[in-house]
Amino acid sequence: MKYLYGAGRNAGRFLITAAAFMTALLLGFIILFIVKESLPLFQEISLWEFLSGDVWKPISFTKTPPSFGIRNLILSTLYVSLLATGIALLISIGTALWLSCAAGPVVRMVMYALIDLLAGIPSVVYGFAGLMLLVRWFQAAGQTSGESVLTAALVLAVMLLPYMISLCSDAMLRIKERYFPAARSLGVDKWYIAASLILPLAGKSILLSMVLALGRAMGETMAVMMVIGNSNVFPTLLGKGETIAAAIALEMGTAVQGSTHYHALFAMGLVLIVLLCLIQAVITVIKERLFIQLGIRERSD
Amino acid sequence: MKVTMKKLTALLFSLMLVMSFVLSGCSADSGKKEDSTEAPQSTDAAGNEEDGKKAEDGKDEFQSQILFCGSSSLAPIMASIGSSFTDEYVTWDKVDPSFPAENISVYVAPGGSGVGVNSALEGSCDFGMVARTVKDEEKAKMSKDYKEYVMAADALTVSVNKENPVCKVIDDMSTDMIRRIFAGEVTNWKDVDASLPDQEIAVYIRDLSGGAYEVFQKSVMGESEITASATQCPSMGALGEAIAGNKWGIGYASYGVYNQNKDKLQAMKVDGTEPSEETIIGGKYSIQRPLLFITNSEVSPAEQAFIDYVYSKAGADAVAANGYISTMDIK
Repeated sequence: MKYLYGAGRNAGRFLITAAAFMTALLLGFIILFIVKESLPLFQEISLWEFLSGDVWKPISFTKTPPSFGIRNLILSTLYVSLLATGIALLISIGTALWLSCAAGPVVRMVMYALIDLLAGIPSVVYGFAGLMLLVRWFQAAGQTSGESVLTAALVLAVMLLPYMISLCSDAMLRIKERYFPAARSLGVDKWYIAASLILPLAGKSILLSMVLALGRAMGETMAVMMVIGNSNVFPTLLGKGETIAAAIALEMGTAVQGSTHYHALFAMGLVLIVLLCLIQAVITVIKERLFIQLGIRERSD
Repeated sequence: MKVTMKKLTALLFSLMLVMSFVLSGCSADSGKKEDSTEAPQSTDAAGNEEDGKKAEDGKDEFQSQILFCGSSSLAPIMASIGSSFTDEYVTWDKVDPSFPAENISVYVAPGGSGVGVNSALEGSCDFGMVARTVKDEEKAKMSKDYKEYVMAADALTVSVNKENPVCKVIDDMSTDMIRRIFAGEVTNWKDVDASLPDQEIAVYIRDLSGGAYEVFQKSVMGESEITASATQCPSMGALGEAIAGNKWGIGYASYGVYNQNKDKLQAMKVDGTEPSEETIIGGKYSIQRPLLFITNSEVSPAEQAFIDYVYSKAGADAVAANGYISTMDIK
C-alpha cells in the first residue's frame, strides 16, 4: 500500500506515461520509415501508373523494360481478405449465438478453450495443412491446379475464426444475461429473443470483429502464400492470385538495397497500410450512421 | 492539458527508449538475420558494408558461428554438411587445437540466390549460397576479398508428373516447345500432342529470388517472358513437390530435386539430350548451372576450417546424397 504514496506513486505514473508515449512514437517511427523508403519510387514512376498498372516485372531479363504495376496485387489482397472475412463472419456469428444461447456453462468453457487453441496454431502450419489437404481436394475435384483464391480464403477463414468468435460471443453473452430473464419471464421464445434482440444489439461487436479480422487477413503472409498460387494475374474465384504480403515476402531478399525494386516493395507495404486505414475509417463512419438509423442503442454497462 | 515538467520528462524518456531500439540495429553483428523495419539497418548501404567488415576482423573475438544464406537448392546440402561437422567435432578445439573450446554452430537460411548475393554484398551473412553464375555487375560491386567456392554442377530438368499420359507419348521436347509452354503460348496438353487429353498445363516456376529463374530465362526463354499465370514456388523443394502433386504439372525442377523424387517425376529430354552426369559435366545438356557459395570479406580461420571440411569426402557425400554432381577436387 505504501507504493500508492510519495515517490512510488510518481515513479509508477511516470513509467506508465512513458510506456504509452513509447507505443505511439514507435508506431510513428515505423510509418515514417516505410514512407521514407517508398518515396524515391515516385520519382521514377507516377502514383497512378503504380496503382493501376497490371504488369509487375521488377527485374527484366529481356528487352522489355521493368514495370511496377500492382493493380492485380491490390485486387487479389482485397478479394482474398473480404472473402475470408465473409466466410468467417457467417460461421462465427452462428457459433457465437450457439455458445451464448444454447450451450451450458461447462460446454461453453470447453469450447472457448478449443477455439483459443485454433488461434495458437502457427500460420505456417495452416499453410502446410492447406497445401496438403485443401489443394489436393481441389485437384481431385477437377481443378488443374488446386491453388486458388478460394483455397486461400478458406484457409484464412479458419485462421480468423477464433478472433471473431471470442469477440462476438463475449458481447452476446453479456447481452443475453441482461435481457434473458426479463424476456423469458414475459414468455418470449428463446430463439425469437436471439434473433430480434441479441443479434442486433451485438451488431457493434460483430462489426468490430469484422474490422479486426479484415486487418489480420490483409496482413497474413505465410499461409496465403503457400496456397494462393502466386501468379500476377487478375484474381478470379477459382484462379490464382498474389497478395501484397506474399509478393513482399517472396521478393524482399532479392531486391538490391536502394534499387527501384526495393523502393517499390516498400511502397506496396505503404499501400497496404493506407488500404487498411481507409477500410477502418469507412467502417467507423458507417457504424454510427447505421446504428442511429436502426434505432439501436446499447446502454453502456 | 498542462505541459508539466513530468510529462516532458516522460516524453523524453520514451524517445530515448525508442531510439535505443532503433540504434541497436547498428550493432556490428555478423549473425544478423533479415532486416526489419528499423531505420539505420537498411537505409545506409555504406554503413552496412562497414558493419560487415567490422564483424569479420574480430581479431579479439573468435568466430564460432557461421551463417549461410541464399539458394534453396544448396541449403539442404550445406545444412547436412553443417550438422555432420557439428556432430563430428562438437567444439572448435577438436577441429584445430589452436581454436578455443567453443561450441560449433553452422546456420543455414534459404531464401533464393538473390538473397545469397545480396547478403554476401551487405555482409549480413558470412557466406551467400548461389545457384547460378554470379553476374559481372554483381562482381563489380564486391570488395577485393571476394571469393567463390564452387561445389557442384546442377541442371534444370523439365519435369512432368509420372502419371501424365505425355510420358508414354513423347520423351523429348525441343527448346522451342518448352519455351512456348512456359511463355503461355501453348496452354493445353492436347496442343503438345494430339493424343493427349484436353487438360490445361499447370506451369510451376521459381520466384524472382531463385537462381533457377534467371538460368532458365537465359537458356530457354531468351527474349520471351514467362507467362503471368505460372505458379511461383518459394523454394526448389516446393517446386518439385508441386509437380509431384499435380498430374498435369510441368516445371523446371533441379537435377537434385528430380533425383530425390524419381518415383513421382519424369524428366523430359531437351533437344534429344537427357539430363545425366555425363551430359551435364560434358556440357551437352543445355540448361545447367553451378552451385557455389561466395563471400565478400576476409575468411576467418574457423571459416577456413569449415571450408576444408566441405571440400573433403564428407562434403562430396552430402552433395551426392542430395542428388547433385560434385565438382570439387577432393584432397
